[in-house]
Formats: sequence, structure tokens, C-alpha cells
Amino acid sequence: MALLLFLALALVALLAAVGMVTSRNAVHSALFMLVNFAVYAIFYIMLNAQFLGVVQVIVYAGAIVVLFLFVVMLIGGEIGAVRSSLRRYTYAAALILGALFVAMIGLGIAQTISTDQTVAGAPAAGGVEAIGMALFTTYLLPFELASLLLLAGMVGGVARRYKALDED
Amino acid sequence: MIFDYAWLILLFPALGLLFNAFFGRRVGHKVAAIVANLAVALSFLMAVALAMGLSALPGDESSVEVLLWPWIHIAGFQVDMALLIDPLSSVMILVVTGIGLLIHIYSATYMKVDDEHQPMDERRYARFFVYMNLFILMMLTLVLANNYVMLYLGWEGVGLASYLLIGFWFYKPSAADAAKKAFLVNRVGDFGMALAIMWMFFLFGKEAGSLSFDAVFAALETASPAVVAALTGVTLLLLLAATGKSAQIPLFVWLPDAMEGPSPVSALIHAATMVTAGVYMLARSHPLLELAPATMTLIAWIGGLTALMAASIAIVQTDLKRILAYSTISQLGYMFLGVGVGAYVASVFHLYTHAFFKALLFLAAGSVMHALHGELNIDLMGGLRKKLPVTYAQFLIGALALAGFPLLSGYWSKDAILLGAFVTSYPLYAIGLFTALLTAFYSLRAVYRAFHGQPRDEHLYDHAHEQPRGMTWPLWALAFGAVFAGLLGLPAIFGKEFGFPVGNLIEGWLKPTFEGLSEPHVAFSTEMALFISSGFVALIGIYLAYARYVKQSGWTLSLQKALSPLQPALENKYWVDEIYFAVIVNPLRALARFFATGAEGVIDGVVNGVGAVTTAAGVGIARLQTGLLSWYALSLFLGVVLLLIYFVFA
Amino acid sequence: MNLSSLNWNSLLPELVIVATSLIVLITAVVGKVSRVDRIARGHALAVVTLIGLLIAAGLTIMQLSQPASDFMGMVQSDALSHYLNLVILLAAALAVLLAWDYLGRFTYSFSEFYSLLLLAVAGMMFLGKSTELITLFVSLEILSISLYILTGFNRHQLASAEASLKYFLLGAFASGFIVYGAALLYGDTGSTWFSDIAANASGGFLTLAGFALLLVGFAFKIAAVPFHMWTPDAYQGAPTPVTAFMSVGTKAAALVALFRVLQSAVSAPYETWAWALAILSLLTMTVGNVAALRQTSIKRLLAYSSIAQAGYMLIGLVAGTVLGLQAMLFYLFAYAFMNIGAFACASLLESDDWSELQDASMANARGLFSRQPLLATALAIFMFSLAGIPPLAGFFGKLYLFDAAIDAGWLWLALVAVINSVISAYYYMRVVVVMFMEAPDESTRVRLPIPDSAILAIVIAVLGALLLGILAGPSFASLGQAVVAWRF
Repeated sequence: MALLLFLALALVALLAAVGMVTSRNAVHSALFMLVNFAVYAIFYIMLNAQFLGVVQVIVYAGAIVVLFLFVVMLIGGEIGAVRSSLRRYTYAAALILGALFVAMIGLGIAQTISTDQTVAGAPAAGGVEAIGMALFTTYLLPFELASLLLLAGMVGGVARRYKALDED
Repeated sequence: MIFDYAWLILLFPALGLLFNAFFGRRVGHKVAAIVANLAVALSFLMAVALAMGLSALPGDESSVEVLLWPWIHIAGFQVDMALLIDPLSSVMILVVTGIGLLIHIYSATYMKVDDEHQPMDERRYARFFVYMNLFILMMLTLVLANNYVMLYLGWEGVGLASYLLIGFWFYKPSAADAAKKAFLVNRVGDFGMALAIMWMFFLFGKEAGSLSFDAVFAALETASPAVVAALTGVTLLLLLAATGKSAQIPLFVWLPDAMEGPSPVSALIHAATMVTAGVYMLARSHPLLELAPATMTLIAWIGGLTALMAASIAIVQTDLKRILAYSTISQLGYMFLGVGVGAYVASVFHLYTHAFFKALLFLAAGSVMHALHGELNIDLMGGLRKKLPVTYAQFLIGALALAGFPLLSGYWSKDAILLGAFVTSYPLYAIGLFTALLTAFYSLRAVYRAFHGQPRDEHLYDHAHEQPRGMTWPLWALAFGAVFAGLLGLPAIFGKEFGFPVGNLIEGWLKPTFEGLSEPHVAFSTEMALFISSGFVALIGIYLAYARYVKQSGWTLSLQKALSPLQPALENKYWVDEIYFAVIVNPLRALARFFATGAEGVIDGVVNGVGAVTTAAGVGIARLQTGLLSWYALSLFLGVVLLLIYFVFA
Repeated sequence: MNLSSLNWNSLLPELVIVATSLIVLITAVVGKVSRVDRIARGHALAVVTLIGLLIAAGLTIMQLSQPASDFMGMVQSDALSHYLNLVILLAAALAVLLAWDYLGRFTYSFSEFYSLLLLAVAGMMFLGKSTELITLFVSLEILSISLYILTGFNRHQLASAEASLKYFLLGAFASGFIVYGAALLYGDTGSTWFSDIAANASGGFLTLAGFALLLVGFAFKIAAVPFHMWTPDAYQGAPTPVTAFMSVGTKAAALVALFRVLQSAVSAPYETWAWALAILSLLTMTVGNVAALRQTSIKRLLAYSSIAQAGYMLIGLVAGTVLGLQAMLFYLFAYAFMNIGAFACASLLESDDWSELQDASMANARGLFSRQPLLATALAIFMFSLAGIPPLAGFFGKLYLFDAAIDAGWLWLALVAVINSVISAYYYMRVVVVMFMEAPDESTRVRLPIPDSAILAIVIAVLGALLLGILAGPSFASLGQAVVAWRF
């Protein structure tokens, strides 16, 4: 049952991802991404990671996609870009390489499944408490480092905002 | 033990150059000069201490190796930063630091004005001393090295310092060109040096495990005949290197142009020390040379012919410093002649006396140049002895020593070489003797033209002024050396025959380095005859110059007329520059053009083949376009997939 | 678990850098400063940054002989990370000296610049210490994001923005592969710690694919071919101090982190990954050198040269021995001096016109010797060193690398590298010939003003390139003593 549900949802996620990449209208792309994110939220919940599922909906499906839509509308990016002649070959090459990539990773996953090996490391509980414990004890250092990462992004945003010298 | 502190001799100039490089332009003229002078002075004291330490060694020891640090240790082969202090290197460090110190002192005053006789910019003043200290450091590295690789380091280092100093007035095209010429010509010689070292590495590297002089010379004793045969090649390459650095045929052309540098540079680098590095290196390599008699002969002939050729060119030069430059080439020729005939001690002896009188002459020429606001043409001088009595006296002493005036230093050392030549080959002796005549003539010609007679340019003459004490007293010290330095090398036979209390000190000192080699000796009567004849020849040369330029006797004019067909050849320096241009430079240029276009074609092909994507970006940056970026991403993705396939299937 | 049980000491240098970054950042919002004072404040910030870097370097040197592992084994302080820290801090300090005067020509955002630079430094330092995948990834992202922004810092130039965008997009692409690789490894072993990964890996396709993807991320940062496409554009477009810094710092950190992964996490046989790296190395040096042959911009030439140099350094990883590691660390120091020195000289040859691509073209260097002999000599020394001419640092770096390769049985790779060195001599020498042998253009006859800070940076770099060559024996040996402690 769970497997069937997963496969069905996975198909949705996959189609949404393809739609997002191929869509020529940026607003459509963003909406496809929303679908994709939502399916991921369900995956998290199915994997017993309820907290992540909720955060996924609030942060990604909520905040980030809305932000994307705003930006797209502000800069008027909903009109598709002109295709260059190079693109057709790029597409073909990318498709072939993508297929090879999927094949290689698939090979790895298939081998793991065929040897009947359970995937290691699945968390026992994914609630707030478990995540909190992990973040503030074992993974304290990367958690703190992540704050530096955010700081770098923020400072970068500020620096980009400044007008250039002669416009000052 | 003094030798434990031997590294200090290198440290002082290194500190001096660092200080002036960092702070020189902030601390002003005085401090910069004091620091640079102090560095060399301390180095000189260290050299004296080392020489005294060496003389205090017990009889059977004559050399000390001081390991500074291991340098290259790789796969059983090692090259160390190590100093070899032995009689030969001790003479060299004394000359380098001693003469170097006097020239530094002179420079402190001399360099206060620039080439246009405007007050010198403090920055450039400090930079001059940075280069000078760098030169001292590198020269000491060269002569103290205990192996060929470190010697080569110093060899290139002095080349760099020389290059920077020749081009010191780099904004003058002539100076920049001269620097370039020196650089290129020396490159040929240095290439020979590098090849010789590589060849020695293949010959001895495995067996000796090192390229230190000791190891290589020790390996010679067990060398197979094939190795001994190869030594001729090695020594020929060393000779090529030496002809570049010491300005001998065929690579002498850079030295006259090098006079574009400031006069103290000419005195220090292009007369007293650096140019003698070739002589030093050959003398140091004497165990190799002894096994390659063909090379020895070639060295002797190159030396003799260079001496003759350069002396003959010097006769017609009118630029005071160029006369001295050709004279330097000629005197270096004598030293090569000495090495070639196996009279190593005589060669080193001449190197040492020459350092005194040639430095003296160049510095005196610098004083003249200052007094006349940069004028060096002796045709425009005349009568200067009244205006510049001190400089005149100093120049005269130097010129007489150079001319081989009996009992002055140049007389003894030149005769020692001529004696060696006499024992080996009469033609070489004849060439040497005739060159001595020319030497006496051109050196006194310079004196008479510049200092005697009537002023030929009243304006110049009126503005001439004697130099400050800072520039005169170092010259008196050099003049003292020019007169008396030869007493260290009085022929041993004199001591025996006349009952002098001292014999040939320098020969006794250097004996351990050239152990097993007998300096040429002849019967007392022969030796006396040689001495008298060369003294006589010098006097004839001096008289000829006197008759021609002071008395202006009619017969000298007719002699000149008789010899006038030679004049164009001499004035054009035997057209060597022109020949090089026609035979080497132009064909090389054509070849380079051919290769440039040809190579460009090949490179274009390769580049286009390898990375059409890379070159698509072109010279300017292409405007941001999705096409280009997706190519980049695609290439990245291709790499990912290839790596994946490799890892999964490996 | 309690906080005091964490060995904060081992992270002191990194903490100092982060703190300095915050201090520098805070000054951006303190008080209002007039236009003129801004430049002065910029200089003050540069001084603060330098002090922070110096303190961190001092702390690192004090810790040199104290290996420590902490934060639940997520970071490892050892000889490797200490030496890496020194390289990074050196590169950053030289970059600050270059930026001192350079920055004020196009921006007033000094505090943002220096704090981002420091954050990038911190990211690199953490990257070199991390022994756990999440820490590794986050550190990598810290340095990447900071550098993306620094690359596009010159807003007067389209090229700078373009470089930043390209670097960012491709970098994000590469980061994706790292995360995917990490996920596969986690899926395979149930842990993100290197030691657990090595112990629990199934050794199947999943493990191998995970390692392959991880390698991609590092290869991208090192700018190994074919993951190098961003490099010429980003290096040319970025402000030169940033280029100088990232060309050294990023490569160094990524190489050391890769070394750590290979030695402590990878369970695949040595032959497998060594051959992959050997081929990467071969491609990298060959493509880098060949592409550099035809460049007319010194900056772009140096960009390609730095690709090739990364190829040489990969040889140390291929060898995978003490000798190889020692040689690579030695080369990193040599490279820091000569490469930053070269970029420093290049930055002085750029035109002052900020509305156009400020490029150090070869034409600007024509006849430099007759205009500015010292600058020309310095650049020549860097070129000689990069080309590997004795007795400069670059020569010994190559010598040790090639020796390590031969020692580990990679004779063919050493031979390829030697051939590559010969090819590279062509374009390095071309710069020297242009400076010394050609007559200057009338248009470039003017003397360029050289700020004191740049002189200091160049002098330090020259001394480094010289002394590391002359003192090659002792410095290599001292690296050896520290590195031997590393468990293989």
C-alpha cells in the first residue's frame, strides 16, 4: 500500500519536475515547483519525519515559491526566453548524459535492493524533539556553521544592493 | 671556531639589502649609505677573520667546509648549501669584500647625483645600494660555494645584479639596450654552464651522489677512460660559460656596452670582481682541466688572442671608460692565458692585483666624469692635471700599474703569467709581450690625452672641479694597493738569490689548492731576462705614448700614418658586432619569425582541436548567453557521467 | 553532552576569523561617514582584517604540534589542517594588501568586502578540518557563496557580474552533485562520519557512485578539467585581489579536504581512485597549458596557468604517500607566493578605466622593464617560478611532486608533467620577453603609480618565492616531520 502510494506520488513529483524545467513560462515553472515541493512534504511524513514535512510546506512551498513568483512578476520574466540555435544540441546531449547518469545511479540502487540490504540510517523519530536533539548536540558544529552560511548570503545580498560608486 | 660563523659573511650583505629594500627610501641618503657600507665592512672583517682562521689551521689541513643547510636531497643525490673556505676562495672573498668596501664608500658620495647631474632621488639612491649589496651577496655565494649547483646560483645571481646595474639609468635607451645585450650574451654562456653541470651530473651524479667540488674531483681518480674523454666536452662548456662571464672571445661584446652603468658599477662588477668569476671558476675546476689538455690549449689561445685584440682596440677608443673596458677584456685575457698554460697561481695573482689598479682607474674615471659633468671623451679633455691634481695622481698610478711599470703591482703579476706562457709556448709569449707594449701605450695615451697638454674644450675645463674627500680617500687606498700589492707575489727565486726575507707569499698561500701542480720555473738568469725585457717593453710603450701625445714628434705621426690602414678595423672593433648581427642575430631573427609563424600554426591547431569551447570565449569576454553557460554545464555534466561510469565499472 | 567538553581550542583560529568578520561587518552600520572618510575607514578595516588574520596565523602556529579531534569527531586539527590554514591566511593577507588600494577605485562597500573575504577564509579553514560530510558540505558552501559575491563585487563591470553569475550557477550545479554523493554514502553506510563510512561501506555500486559524485564537487573547486569551464571567465572577471585569493585558497582547501576524504573515508581500492585522479591530473595540466598558449590577457593567461598548476598539485594526491602529501603542501606554499605575486603584478598593469573590462593585457606589459624595472623583475621572478626554473620555489615544488610520483610508481605521470612544464615555459617566457625585449608602446609609456600596499605584497611574494627555493631543503624537511604524524 505504502509502496503504491509512493510510486504514484513519485510519478507526480517527476512530472512536476519535468514540467518545471521544460515550461517556457516562468510562472508555470514556479507552480510546477510548488507541486514538486508539496509531494516532497508528503514523502517526509511517510518517512516518519513529520517536522521536516511541515517545514517543507511552510518554508519551501510557502515562502520560497511565493518569493519566486513575486520576483518573476516584478521583472516580467513570465515571457519565455528566445531559444538559441545551440540549444537543440544541448538538449540532445543533456538527455543522453542524463539517461546515463540515471542508469549509473539506478545501477547502484538496484544492486542495493537486489542484495536485500536495508537502507541504513533511517531515523526512528522525526519529531521536533528528535531534530532538536540532533541539531543541538551531535550536529552542533554544522548547525552553527550554517549560520555563517546564512550570514554570508545576507552580507552578499546587502553588498549587491549597494549602488555603484558613481550613482552614490 | 671562526668557521662556525662563516655564514655571517653572507648574512651581512643580505641584511643590508633587505634593510635598504624595505626602508631605504624612508631613512634618507645618509642612513641608506651607512647601512650598505656597514654590511660590506662587516663582511670584509669576516673575510679577514676567515682568512686568518685558515692560516691558523694545522699544516695538513688547508680547507674547511661549512654546511649551511641541506638543499636538495632527492633519490640518493644531494646538493647542499655549503661553503668551501680554502686558500683560493679566501683570496676571492678578500678581494670581493675589500675592493667592494672601498667602492661602496666611494659610491656613497658619487651616487648623490644622477646621470644628468641632478640630485639623486632618495628612492633610487637606496635602490642602487640594494643592487650593490645583492651583488656582493651573490658574488660571495659564487666564490664560497662548495659545489657546482650553488656556484651556478651565484653565477646567475651576479648576472642579475649586473643586469640591473647596467640598466640602472633604465630610462636611457642606450642603458636599457646595453643591459639587454649583456643579458642575452651572458645567456649563451650560462647555457653552457647549465649544460656542463647536467653533463657532470650524468658523469658523476650516481657515483659521487653530489656535485660538490670534492666529490667530483675525487671521482676523477677512479674515472673510466670514457669519462675522461667526456671531460673535454664538459670543460669546453665550462669555457663557454667563462668566456661569457669574463668577456672573452667570442662573447666579449657585452662588456664595452656595460659601461652605461654608473662608474662604481663598472669598477666593482665589470672590472674587479664579477668578470673574474670565469677565471675563478676555471681555476677552481683545474682538476678537470688537467685531464683535458685540448681545452687548456684552447683557453690559452683564447686568452692570448683576446688580450691582443682588446688592447689593440683600446688604442683608438676616445671614451675614457671604454678604453678601460677594453683594457679589462685584455687583462682578463692575460688571466685566461695564465690558466691555459697551467700557471693558476699567476692567474689568481694577476686577478688580485688587477682588481686594485682597475678599480682605481674606473673610480678615477668616475671622478673625471663628475668633474666634467658626464663628459668622457678624451678628445675634449686635456690639461686636467692642473684642475684635478689628486685625481690625476691617482689615475696616473693606476695607469702605470696597468702598463706594467717596473716594480708596481701589475708588473709582477703580468710577468708571472708571461713566464708561464714562455715555458709553454713561444708564440703565446710573443703575443703576451706585444700586448704588454700596447697596454703601456694605451694606458699612458689616456693619461696624456686627458690630463696633459692644453685644454681642448675651454668650457669643460673651466667648470672642472676636484672631488670631495669621500671620493678621493678610497682611491688612495686602492692606489696603495696598486703600488704595493705585487710585493705579495715576488718571484720565489728572487728570495733565494737576493736573500729577501720573504718569498712568494701568494704562491705559498695558494699551494694547497693547486696541490700537485708545479708552477712553471726556469733558471734564474732566464727569469731575470724575462723580467727585464717586459719592464723594457713597458717603458717603450710609455715612451711611445709620450712621444706621440706630449712631444708630438714627427716620426710618431708618420708611424701612425703607416699604420693607418689598420685604423678602420680598430675603430670598428674588428666589426665583431656587425659580424654577429649578420651571422647570428639576423638569421636567428628569421628563424624565430619562421618558428613563430610555424609554431603559431601548430599551436592554433592544437588549441582549436583541444578546446574549441575554451577559445570560443575568445579574447574579450563574450556577453552572457545561455548557450555558452549551458555548454559549460554540459561539459561539467559530461565529466560527472564519465567519472560515474569509471567508478562503477572500474 | 556539555559544552565545556568540546575542545574549543582546536577551533580557535577559525573562531578568531569569524569574530573578525563580525567586527568588520558591524562597522558598516556604525555611524555615518562622509565620502572622503570612507576610504580612510576602508583602510582601517583592512588593518583590522590583517590583524585578525595574523592572530589566527599565530594561534595556528602555536597549535602546530597539537593534533586534536573534536566536536564529536567532526573536525580534525592536525598538521595537514594547520599548514593549510597557514596557506589560506597567507593568501588572504596578501589579497587584503592588494585590495587596500584597488577596492576604493570601484566601491565603498569595504566592510562587506572584508567580512565576506574573512567568511570565505573561515569556510576554507573549516573545510580543511572537516571529517564529516555535513560539516564538509556546509563549509564548502560558506566559502563558495562568499566567493560568488566577491567575484561580482565590481558593479561597474558587466564582466564581473557575468563572472559571478556563471560561477554561481555552475557552482550550484556542482554542489548538487556533492550533496547527492553525500546522500548516497549516507544511504549506504548510515553515517556521515568519514571513519564510519570507511568502516561500514558496502563497497557496491552505491558506494562507488557516492564517491564519484563527491569527487566531482572537489574537482570543480580545484578547477580540474573537465570541471574547469568557469575558471577563465570567473578569474578574469573578478576583481584581481579576489582572483588572487581564490585561485590559491580554494584550491588549497579543496585539495586538502579531498586528501582527507581519500585517505580516511574512501574504501575503494587505491588503484581505482588514484587512476581517476591521475587522468584528471593529466587532462588538467595539458588543457590548462595548451589553452594558455594563445592568451593575450595576462590575467586570463594566469587563469589557465592556475588550472595547469592544479594539475601538478593533483599529482601529490595521486601518489597518496607521505612524500606526495609533503610535496603537495610544499607546492601549495610555493604556489601561494608565486601565483598571488603574479596576480598582484597583473593588477598593476590594468587600465584605470573602470567602465571597461579592466584587463592586464599583454600590450600593457610591453617594454615594462624600461618603464618600471623592479615591477618587471618581480613579475619575471613569478613567471620563472611558475615555469619551474631553479632556484625558485616553483622549481623545487615540481621537483618534489615529480619525485613523489616516481617514488609511488607513477613514472608516466611524472613524464607527462615534465613535458607539460616545457610547454608552459613557452607562455611564461613570452610574458618575460614582452616585458624585457620589446619596446614600449607610446601609449603605455607612462609610469603607473604603484601603491605601497601592493609593493609590500609583491615584496613578500618575491621573498617567499626566493626563500622557499633557497631554503627548500629545510622547509621540505620540516613539512615532512609534521606530516609523518599523519596516519596513512
